[in-house]
Amino acid sequence: MDSLFASIYHTLNIAVFLRRDEQCFALQAQMPEWLMFFLGTSIAPQTCDLTDVFPYLTCFMDDAEQHWQAKRSAPLTSGVWVETNELGQELALEATALWADGQAILLLQDLGEKYRQEVSRLQQVRDGLLTQEKLENEVQKRTLKLKQREEEIAIKLVSLTSYRDEETGAHVRRIGLYAAAMAKALGWPVCQIDDIRMAAPMHDLGKIGIPDKILLKKGKLTEVEFSIMKRHTEIGAKMLQDSNIPALDMAAEIALCHHEKWDGSGYPRELHGEEIPLAARITTIVDIYDALVHERVYKKAMCEKEAVELMSSMAGAHLDPQLFRVFMELLPVMRRIRTEVHEIDDLIVSY
Amino acid sequence: MIQKKICLLGAFSVGKTSLIRRYVDSLFTDKYLTTVGVKIDKKTLQVDGQDITLMIWDIAGEDDLTNIRTAYLRGMSGYILVVDGTRPHTCDTALSIHRMVRETVGDLPALFALNKADLKTQWQLDANQLKQLQQSGCPLLETSAKQDAGVEDMFHQLVRHMGV
Ligand SMILES: Nc1nc2c(ncn2[C@@H]2O[C@H](COP(=O)(O)OP(=O)(O)O)[C@@H](O)[C@H]2O)c(=O)[nH]1
Ligand SMILES: [Mg+2]
Repeated sequence: MDSLFASIYHTLNIAVFLRRDEQCFALQAQMPEWLMFFLGTSIAPQTCDLTDVFPYLTCFMDDAEQHWQAKRSAPLTSGVWVETNELGQELALEATALWADGQAILLLQDLGEKYRQEVSRLQQVRDGLLTQEKLENEVQKRTLKLKQREEEIAIKLVSLTSYRDEETGAHVRRIGLYAAAMAKALGWPVCQIDDIRMAAPMHDLGKIGIPDKILLKKGKLTEVEFSIMKRHTEIGAKMLQDSNIPALDMAAEIALCHHEKWDGSGYPRELHGEEIPLAARITTIVDIYDALVHERVYKKAMCEKEAVELMSSMAGAHLDPQLFRVFMELLPVMRRIRTEVHEIDDLIVSY
Repeated sequence: MIQKKICLLGAFSVGKTSLIRRYVDSLFTDKYLTTVGVKIDKKTLQVDGQDITLMIWDIAGEDDLTNIRTAYLRGMSGYILVVDGTRPHTCDTALSIHRMVRETVGDLPALFALNKADLKTQWQLDANQLKQLQQSGCPLLETSAKQDAGVEDMFHQLVRHMGV
């Protein structure tokens, strides 16, 4: 080989091999020092099976072979691998296959400084990524904690306001969980599921503005009394609106519309079908379910079968029929919520 | 002498290099030195009185910066997918690498290593992720390269699984 090229190769830590046959390679020119440790000096006439010496090349030789068969002069690189030299130092090597001068050529290069630069660049990037990952993770955990605390406060407050008519904290909590289960089944995004879990329990908040003598009246309400009672929807909406907090905006909507009926016979605005916000239609269904299957001062609890039968007869008139179907599919989930989230009286006692 | 190629795969910094160092050299360091390029270690072990040489390929972590070349997987007899229990998304990476490998080289013996078991109180894998790991049909092992827990067992289980 031309001595000029030989010296260039030498400076670049490149060893040049000619392929003799599939397994066998012959070293051209002088062997670079770094290679001696791996090849030994005794190979005569310096032909060897390189995949034996560098097992990494087993994943490259098939591609290289194809490259040579096609007589491509463009270089094909193997990707970097790492070997340990006689001093226990790491060497980064790369092989290149190409076709030149009518011959199949394989270059082996010790990447040296270039590799060390690449490593330190990647090290920096990855250290940065790890730190970022840690921070994001921490933020996520804290956000979750805040959210849970927010929800807890909301539930405590809501059950305080319903204390008068003996809706309990557990009922309030269940309504949120049922509604969230419905929202999840409908494919809502996570943040909106979180919102409805908080918002649905607030649907009766407006009852705060209804006088005791009407809210707690044992017998049937007179027409005037009932029209006052109906106002809890608008009162609730007023209390909850204009906050710019998505969960409260949703709560306002639910408070206003949870007594609307699918056929337009509800109140306060006699909305029809899909004019009624979806969140409100969901809440209506789960509120009725929970009320039916639990005992109240004025009524006994129904068994689930009776409750579901009664609700089926309401679907299409009072309830959104399609949503009711979703509800029925989720019945096992609803049942679990109902039986796991009990009337925990401590919510009331602790006040 | 039988030679078998196995690969350690997974996101960066999950402990692939550390697991190999622990198994091959009985060493561990807390310092994180990123791996660039492929490193192959050899370890000879005896199974039923027969010597087997494992060629253990440490493949740099898959992330936005480096993709696994499918050529790396050629001739492989089995692989270990490493997950860092403290970093939930490394589980998703392992699962997607697993899918990729199955699509390119087919069904091979594999197992999942949930590494950094010494930090188990800080693990953050959720129920859904654990379910997906269990449904993968591969054995699921807990390891700690740091405390030398389950490491040898992990390699040996894979070897037995490969039927040598
Ligand atoms: N606590 C703990 N740290 C580990 C364990 N295994 C690896 N590490 C650390 O995790 C970081 C990344 O390990 P490394 O082996 O370089 O990961 P790789 O990028 O997957 O090869 C290093 O700082 C290791 O010290 C382990 O079992 N427990
Ligand atoms: Mg590594």
